[in-house]
Amino acid sequence: MASSCSQALRHHVCKSSRILRIHLQKSWPKEIVIPKKKTWSKEAVLQALASTVKRDPTASDSRFQDDPYLTPKTSSEFKLFSLSQESGRNAAKYFINTYPKYFQKDYAQPHIPCLMPETLEAQIEEASEAALIERIRMRKVKAAVDLYDQLLQAGTSVSLDVTNQLLDLICFCGDHDPTQENVPEQRNEETEDVQDEPQAKKGRASKASGLLKATWKENNNAGRIFALLSEPNTHSYSALIRGMVKYGAYSKAFSTYTDLLNNRLKADVHTFNALIIAAPEVKEKYNEKWELIVDLLKQMAEQKVKPNLLTLNAVLKALRRCGTLGKSQAFPVISEMKALSIETHNHAFPIMLCSAGAPIQGQTDILQEVMNEVSGKSFTAQDPDDAQFFITAMRICLDTKDMEQAYRVHELLGVGENWRLLGNDFQQSIYYARFFSLLCMMENIDVMLKWYRDLVPSVYYPSSNVMRDLLQALDTDNRLDLIPQIWKDIKQLGHANRQNLVEELLTLMAREKHNQEVQESFAECALDIKKIYDTGDRGKVLLSWTAGSLIDLISVLLAAHRRQDAWEMLKLFKTHNRVPSEELLNKFLTCVKEAGEVNQAVELVQISAGFCLPETPKLIQRVQQEFELTEQQRNMLSDLEIQTFNSD
Amino acid sequence: MYRRLLINIYQVRNGLIHTQNTRLPSTKCKERESFAPVIWAPCTARPLGTSSISFNENKESSTSLSEDKEKRPEENEAKEEVNTDGQKSTEMNECTEISNATLASQLETETVDKPEDSKQVEKTKSGKESLLELLGAMKVEVTTVRKIRPSKTPRMSERADQEPMESAHSMFQHATAEGSQQHGTLNPALVAAVSAAASTLPNRHQAESELLKQLRKHEAVPDTQRRAEGQNIGHIIADMKVGRRTNGRSNARPTSQIRFDDDGKGYTQDRGITGELDAVRRRKSPFTSKRLNIFTAGMEQDTLSDLGPTLWDIDLANQIIQATNQTPRNGFEEMIQWTKDGKLWQYPINNEAGLEEEASVPFHEHVFLEKHLDESFPRQGPVRHFMELVITGLAKNHQLTVQQKKEHIDWFRDYFRQKDDVLKEAEA
Repeated sequence: MASSCSQALRHHVCKSSRILRIHLQKSWPKEIVIPKKKTWSKEAVLQALASTVKRDPTASDSRFQDDPYLTPKTSSEFKLFSLSQESGRNAAKYFINTYPKYFQKDYAQPHIPCLMPETLEAQIEEASEAALIERIRMRKVKAAVDLYDQLLQAGTSVSLDVTNQLLDLICFCGDHDPTQENVPEQRNEETEDVQDEPQAKKGRASKASGLLKATWKENNNAGRIFALLSEPNTHSYSALIRGMVKYGAYSKAFSTYTDLLNNRLKADVHTFNALIIAAPEVKEKYNEKWELIVDLLKQMAEQKVKPNLLTLNAVLKALRRCGTLGKSQAFPVISEMKALSIETHNHAFPIMLCSAGAPIQGQTDILQEVMNEVSGKSFTAQDPDDAQFFITAMRICLDTKDMEQAYRVHELLGVGENWRLLGNDFQQSIYYARFFSLLCMMENIDVMLKWYRDLVPSVYYPSSNVMRDLLQALDTDNRLDLIPQIWKDIKQLGHANRQNLVEELLTLMAREKHNQEVQESFAECALDIKKIYDTGDRGKVLLSWTAGSLIDLISVLLAAHRRQDAWEMLKLFKTHNRVPSEELLNKFLTCVKEAGEVNQAVELVQISAGFCLPETPKLIQRVQQEFELTEQQRNMLSDLEIQTFNSD
Repeated sequence: MYRRLLINIYQVRNGLIHTQNTRLPSTKCKERESFAPVIWAPCTARPLGTSSISFNENKESSTSLSEDKEKRPEENEAKEEVNTDGQKSTEMNECTEISNATLASQLETETVDKPEDSKQVEKTKSGKESLLELLGAMKVEVTTVRKIRPSKTPRMSERADQEPMESAHSMFQHATAEGSQQHGTLNPALVAAVSAAASTLPNRHQAESELLKQLRKHEAVPDTQRRAEGQNIGHIIADMKVGRRTNGRSNARPTSQIRFDDDGKGYTQDRGITGELDAVRRRKSPFTSKRLNIFTAGMEQDTLSDLGPTLWDIDLANQIIQATNQTPRNGFEEMIQWTKDGKLWQYPINNEAGLEEEASVPFHEHVFLEKHLDESFPRQGPVRHFMELVITGLAKNHQLTVQQKKEHIDWFRDYFRQKDDVLKEAEA
């Protein structure tokens, strides 16, 4: 009984447990997916922290924050300080590398290789392949070639790989020992004067001339070593062709390529990239150039070489030199590359290149398309020319006065790491200059001033021309009352010595009548300007008084009823040999009359007579009528009247 | 036990199903709720549609009419549904009345505006096309009003909207009447306006006849072409603030074609975000246009012997770095730079930071140190006792590596070996 009961119970338990299991399996997801362990990069925490830091519009660049004394206020100071910081670093590095024996003590507990001097001397002395590799690694072209010759003479064979590396080195350096490597900041030196826009070309030209100094010589070491190879492979040809293209031997590169085909070898993608860059150089007409490029691409397809992003860039760069064809063919090229799933997330650069050749109207359309495509994306630079993107985009916006597009471009700049694409300080200043002049032109004054406060002077030091644009914008929007404020900025930015800017400022202040408060601030500002005229820099007079500036200044002072200051200014006409206008003297006389200064009125007439102004008789008349004169003064005036009459 | 459990589980599951069931009707209700105003809207807009047909006489609007007619049965159905729902509330009705009133008033103001505007336009000699543009724009405005309103005007009964609708209806009937006359001859109001405009000009009769001729000519011009010509009217339409919707009905986008081209370079204002979206939708982006068709997509790379980065690659990377801005923007970015250079100790990203040399050592090597107290120490006595204390301390020390712990023990081994004599003497 008990046994049967327990059996039944067991049976029951088994059954119900099975049912439970089935139901549990049904209700729970079949597989539990354990999330993968996330590996963080070394900089993950720092990156997260860095992303919380926003730009402070009131602070200068982070480079200058260590030393408040060295906070730059003008563009030239900015350049000077940033370059000096960089050159200090370079000098230290130079000394460490030149005298490594003095810097051998290793203080760091885990060894830090980058703090130790680099070895610049070859360590392996005897002639061997290892020594050759070492010299190649240290980019000692001459030494490597000599060693190679020694090895060959001694009868030791050098492996093809090492020879190819040697060829790479020779072709890369153009058979010259490379000069000391430049550190990024140094190249700013040649691009002087961050004053205004279209000087990007200057920088590029000087860079190009640096490259063109070395040309591909007939029968140089590369050619010689290449000829010595019994069985050159694709890599050897690739090195040779790339070297030829780099140093301007374009047609030679193509004949080498024919050579390669004759040897029944396949070219690699780098070879094709180089040849595509060279293609526009060997043909005259636009369509011939394009046909050659298409031909090369077809050969790539035949030889089953997959193009990469650099191919795309090379084609687009070449298209830039194909005139009108460039614009029409650029998009098919891009979609071709897209179809091959080459990561073209960095569209920015290619399109800008082709738009550079297109007429203005086309450029806006292209820019719009590009912006639709890229807006909100962050890209990384994949080509040296990527740094031109933002500048070019802003130039197009400025040319077409397209404020909306400019805002989009500027917004894109803030996304992710895109700010890196803005390039060096010089390019940044060009970009902001374009953006800001567009703002001055198109935006209303409040928005513009908001941007002005945001950008100046933390990232952008406007040039005097841009400041003039700003003044004009103030003028059009009737916010001349802001001029004293702007004058302070002008002074700080070091433009106080720009004659035309200061004169424009004075004209704007003198032109209209404002309320008393504004006139008062204008007068303060005018006196400040006068100081600039007076002092000069280290005994050198920076600004010279013109009649116009004097007249403007005095009328500003008169409008604020600063008669005494104005009177002193009036004397400056004499000392600087300038002639006051009749209008000014009349204005002055009115002012004097309000004060009731009889003596000054007479003196004024005397000054006027001193300049032999034709207006003098009228002034005399006015004084005689409007003032209560003493007998002596009356006589004096009548004397003056006679004199002027006689001189006429 | 199991059975009870099972029952519980079943109950819970059934309960879930039930709640789902109960939820279904509610979602249905919601759908209806959201659906109803949308359906109501075309009803009010319909007379407008017809009026625009008689003005425009184009195919597009006639198709829209047919669409409307098709829609109507649906509408009625929907309304019936709404009615059967029986969720009428006086508040709602009031609300709809208000909205209808505003709608009607807006329409009124616009129709009042119309003659003035048209006069102005005729002065600029662009004639009736401009008027048509205006009306087209007006129509769009009304549709936008309808689109914005629905939140305010949910369900409504047929009767409630009868009264305010009537006023609107009558107005549109008037408008249709006006429009229908234009088939053969021109609208008398227009003619009057033309003569008024002509009176301002020096040669009155000639100007008038010219204007009228111009108007008649435009009558014949196909509608699509007229839309494309909406240049001069730009400022008027811009003043009217037309909010365009990209639905099927407003195919004509008069404003999208307006661009001011005063100087050679050309201003391209008037390109709102909607316009941009439009442009994207209308023509395909050139990024997806035709391709060269040289390469085939599934091509695999020939396996070339890759010997790491070559000189050329390094050079390219260098150039890119030089071209881009690498200066850090804040202290953290500078620290990132230093970390990359290897100058800075890594910021800890997990609990194992800085444990590189100990990473392969299992924990028991750290904790169980008895095995190091081998035969070189006495098996018992004070020395043994002392050493046990030492290894307990070492086991708990997380600062030292295993190697250092071993060295520590070794030091004591040596020490006690040296002091062997002393220990023996003390009988330890």
